[in-house]
Amino acid sequence: MTPLDDPALVRVLAADGSVSPTPAAEPYVAAIDALTDADLEGLYRDMVVIRAFDRQATNLQRQGQLALWPPSFGQEAAQVGSARAARPQDHVFPSYREHVVARIRGVDPMDIIRVMRGLTHGGWDPTDPKNGNTHIYTLVLGSQTLHATGYAMGVAFDGLSGSGDPERDQAVIVYYGDGASSQGDVHEAMVFAASYQTPEVFFLQNNQWAISVPVSTQSRSPLYKRGEGYGIPSIQVDGNDVLASWAVTRQALDEARAGAGPRAIEAVTYRMGAHTTSDDPTKYRTSDEETAWAERDPIARMRTFLRGRGASDAFFADVDAEGQAVADDTRERTNALGTLEADSMFAHVYSEAHALIDQERQWLADYEASFDGPQEGEGA
Amino acid sequence: MSTQTFLLPDVGEGLTEAEIVSWRVAPGDEVAVNDVLVEIETAKSLVELPSPFAGVVGDLLVAEGDTVEVGTAIITIASASAAPAAEVGRSEHGAPAEPEPEVAESVLVGYGTIGQVASRRRRVKDPQRQVAASVGVIAKPPIRKLARDLGVDLTAVAPTGPGGQVTREDVLQHASQASVFRNIQTPEWPEVREETIPVPAVTTPRPEAPADEVGREETIPVKGVRKATSSAMVRSAYTAPHVSVWTDVDATRTMELVKRLKASPDFADIKVSPLLIVARAVIWAVRRTPMVNAEWVDTDQGAEIRVRHYVNLGIAAATPRGLLVPNIKDAQDLNMRDLAKALEKLTLTAREGRTSPADQQGGTITITNIGVFGMDAGTPIINPGESGIIAFGTIRQKPWVVDGEVRPRFVTTVAGSFDHRVIDGDGMSRFVADVASILEEPALLLD
Amino acid sequence: MTTALPFSRAINAGLRRAMAENDRVLLMGEDIGRLGGVFRVTEGLQAEFGERRVLDTPLAESGIVGTAIGLAMRGFRPVVEIQFDGFVFPAFDQITTQLAKLTNRLEGAISLPVVIRIPYGGHIGAVEHHQESPEAYFTHTPGLRVVSPSTPNDGYWMIQDAIASADPVIFLEPKAKYWMKGEVDESARALPLHASRVVRRGTDVTLVGHGAMVSTLLQAAALAESEGVSAEVVDLRSLSPVDYGPILDSVRSTGRMVYAQEAPGFTSLGSEIAATVMERCFYALEAPVLRVSGFDTPFPPAKLEGAYLPDPDRILEAVDRALAY
Repeated sequence: MTPLDDPALVRVLAADGSVSPTPAAEPYVAAIDALTDADLEGLYRDMVVIRAFDRQATNLQRQGQLALWPPSFGQEAAQVGSARAARPQDHVFPSYREHVVARIRGVDPMDIIRVMRGLTHGGWDPTDPKNGNTHIYTLVLGSQTLHATGYAMGVAFDGLSGSGDPERDQAVIVYYGDGASSQGDVHEAMVFAASYQTPEVFFLQNNQWAISVPVSTQSRSPLYKRGEGYGIPSIQVDGNDVLASWAVTRQALDEARAGAGPRAIEAVTYRMGAHTTSDDPTKYRTSDEETAWAERDPIARMRTFLRGRGASDAFFADVDAEGQAVADDTRERTNALGTLEADSMFAHVYSEAHALIDQERQWLADYEASFDGPQEGEGA
Repeated sequence: MSTQTFLLPDVGEGLTEAEIVSWRVAPGDEVAVNDVLVEIETAKSLVELPSPFAGVVGDLLVAEGDTVEVGTAIITIASASAAPAAEVGRSEHGAPAEPEPEVAESVLVGYGTIGQVASRRRRVKDPQRQVAASVGVIAKPPIRKLARDLGVDLTAVAPTGPGGQVTREDVLQHASQASVFRNIQTPEWPEVREETIPVPAVTTPRPEAPADEVGREETIPVKGVRKATSSAMVRSAYTAPHVSVWTDVDATRTMELVKRLKASPDFADIKVSPLLIVARAVIWAVRRTPMVNAEWVDTDQGAEIRVRHYVNLGIAAATPRGLLVPNIKDAQDLNMRDLAKALEKLTLTAREGRTSPADQQGGTITITNIGVFGMDAGTPIINPGESGIIAFGTIRQKPWVVDGEVRPRFVTTVAGSFDHRVIDGDGMSRFVADVASILEEPALLLD
Repeated sequence: MTTALPFSRAINAGLRRAMAENDRVLLMGEDIGRLGGVFRVTEGLQAEFGERRVLDTPLAESGIVGTAIGLAMRGFRPVVEIQFDGFVFPAFDQITTQLAKLTNRLEGAISLPVVIRIPYGGHIGAVEHHQESPEAYFTHTPGLRVVSPSTPNDGYWMIQDAIASADPVIFLEPKAKYWMKGEVDESARALPLHASRVVRRGTDVTLVGHGAMVSTLLQAAALAESEGVSAEVVDLRSLSPVDYGPILDSVRSTGRMVYAQEAPGFTSLGSEIAATVMERCFYALEAPVLRVSGFDTPFPPAKLEGAYLPDPDRILEAVDRALAY
């Protein structure tokens, strides 16, 4: 378990909802103070709604509507804070658990549902402007850190970073976890990022567990210290503090986009749910631990904070209602999802025409035509 | 009010069953969507199942402690309204199913692993299965296709290729021989037959037999070719005292020669078969035993034997019209190539039914190829006007002693029937032996 | 008008032309910039086009391919060099799970026009990992195109076509031939990228192969000629997809075929081609399609490469067998 008392840890909002910046948080206080009530309420709303969506998706899996669901439960603050810190022109490379990041950037959460339902491997088009330059999920752990780094190299080569204008300069943020941080690709990505001084932020959500393997097996040293080894300035933040998460990411992205080189952030958080719906955490962690982390819940502390600032019951009720509405809508739209035609298998294997694909597509069409009726359905 | 059924889902990527651990609801309980209905235990973990439906619990279809397969109905819930979204049935084929009044299933993704497939999907057109009757035959793919295209049964073809392989020429020869020499128009019993090729060894037509029992006997009037053939047979059989002699011979070298001839550019456009060698052998043997190429003629001054010093070589041919014996005039003057061409022409003409009377007149000695019928030997009847007839049998691999060892060789029988008025046993035997010796060693033709 | 160029120069010329014609084309790899590549294939290109377009990367194959993917997502056309065939494996994951599949995963939203150049094959007497023939790993991966030129002229043109392709292309360069000279016609492309070609006409047997093996097949054919056997030789050129047309036409007239490859035979490209030819030319075959391959052992120490790699004698032994049917 990563301790939460490292002097380098940046935290502003304590678990009890009080504002108590750690020493390392001092440089960020001003930026946080500048956030408006609307900004703050928006952060809270983002977290509540995604948790409702996430819970519904988990239930849908338990009801046989989805093959799998990887819950983001417990990691809302790290994801909302960092996603809200990115600018519209930025490019986002998630791993596979950043549902609220995708939502905030404009991706319809149903596109994530479709992936988990077995209708698509990708889900959405990163080049469609409505998706906010958000790349699809990557299931080969850590692989996306190289893609993000290459992308960021391209941004720099295009001269679209480093001008000093934060409204114009682009940056790339890539998400990965403590488990993935052991993958060779992540190290190579940091080597390349440092070598080419990419406008890039590596955002590591240390949720303490890689399925059943604790973070202590991944590293004997705090994960944020790795970046220093590559020459990448790194910060550790309390990932359950949405305000600190936002502030730290905002600054890191702005430094990177300005041409100062890549940055790395370790957001210390906790995977309150299972790794996915196929997992059973009771087999490897204690309920005491889960209870302890529940007391550090990111939404609870933000609610307390907002109450302290005078947010009304009506506001909280409205947020809850929105959460429920999104959950209901998700259920309804999931139940209405259709299926795939078999010949879609052949559609995008290559960008250019390919004889063997054409041949096989035709073969399957002829084969299906040779039967009296359609194939008996197996699972949709 | 509609009843909805919850089927046990696969909660863990490929699980096939789960144990019902404890029900959290009872019949009659009001439940909301996502309320926990039951706790189950899978191979991987303990899982709580939330309700997909809102309504009143109907029946608990499985009991605590039961191990239940994925896909089994576990609980029914009656909902107040026909909540459309939650009731969509299996939508694998694109369109959401209409909610049925009684039972609607919930959609269950990745429903366990695939169960047993009970039967094949029905094909619109039954596949043309070629049951391999010719599995034991050694033949390359192009040859098999040729055989199939020509309607040749590979198992009936005498192989002449190396290692017992059926060659292209074997197939072609068989195809053309078959159509010439085989009885092709054999009608079904009990259809009344007109002028037909005699069906070997089935029934003897008895014109005088009463046809009062329908189907047991039939009457065929003797006309046309049948009449001609039968009277010729009678004339020959009851005039010339027939004696038959035969010998077996190792014809492997003939088969090899035939193969080489076929590969030779000179013979590229001509059908070459062992019959060609037999024909040459007969011509050669005739020169050494001229008496077989003679005719017994009764005149007013007494009997004469007319020895012909030319060979009009008759080939017995089964044609659409019946048994005919066209002959190749002056066959002794023909070289191998021309003889082959003449044989081919004779065969094709006969097959097409165009053999003329002139073709059939003046024959001096005849070969009957009974090998195509699969016969080894026979006691053929001499063609009237001649004194000898050679029966050329099938060539097939048989054990033979070569250099003191038993080896498979291509063996055939050369048989002949002769008019004992004209020629005696020594002459017939020498003649048959000569023909056989050519088959054994074709190089003797160089003599 | 043609120029005689060594194979490596011809590829160099093709790269130069591609880079001049499209400024999104980038080269990436170890030692390709200042050094010009260990085989000098990229010599002079960094001086001409600058460090921003010819990148000396860190020593990390997965990193090189992964960042090339990111650059391609951004609209660049990266041409990656993997220094030696045996070192492609650290990048294998990025090539097979990402590069090959992203277009499909994204349902066509993005194409990844990345070329991965790999010197491959034996006959250079090198140490381990420097003489591999890994083509089957890539031909077996849907989403990749795999090609291998056998002549300098093909090297010149095929590298340009590979760069122009919207799909990821594994470009296998027969390193044993880097110094082989051949006529290069810079004025006219002879064949499309994925075409196979008959390089020698014959009537008795069809010999097919790719890369360095093509010249071995030609030598075998010349020796066969002196024995009265007329062999037709087909250069595969494109390993995936395979252009079967010329091969099938040839086999339908000769009735016999031998596929020769340096790669180990078990589950090789040659096995796939043999099976397909047998299926599609069944009625024309006088003999089964035979394969001459490397043995199913790790590539041996260089002293044994002569015994390991198919040479004209091994090819002719198969020809003899084919003709004996």
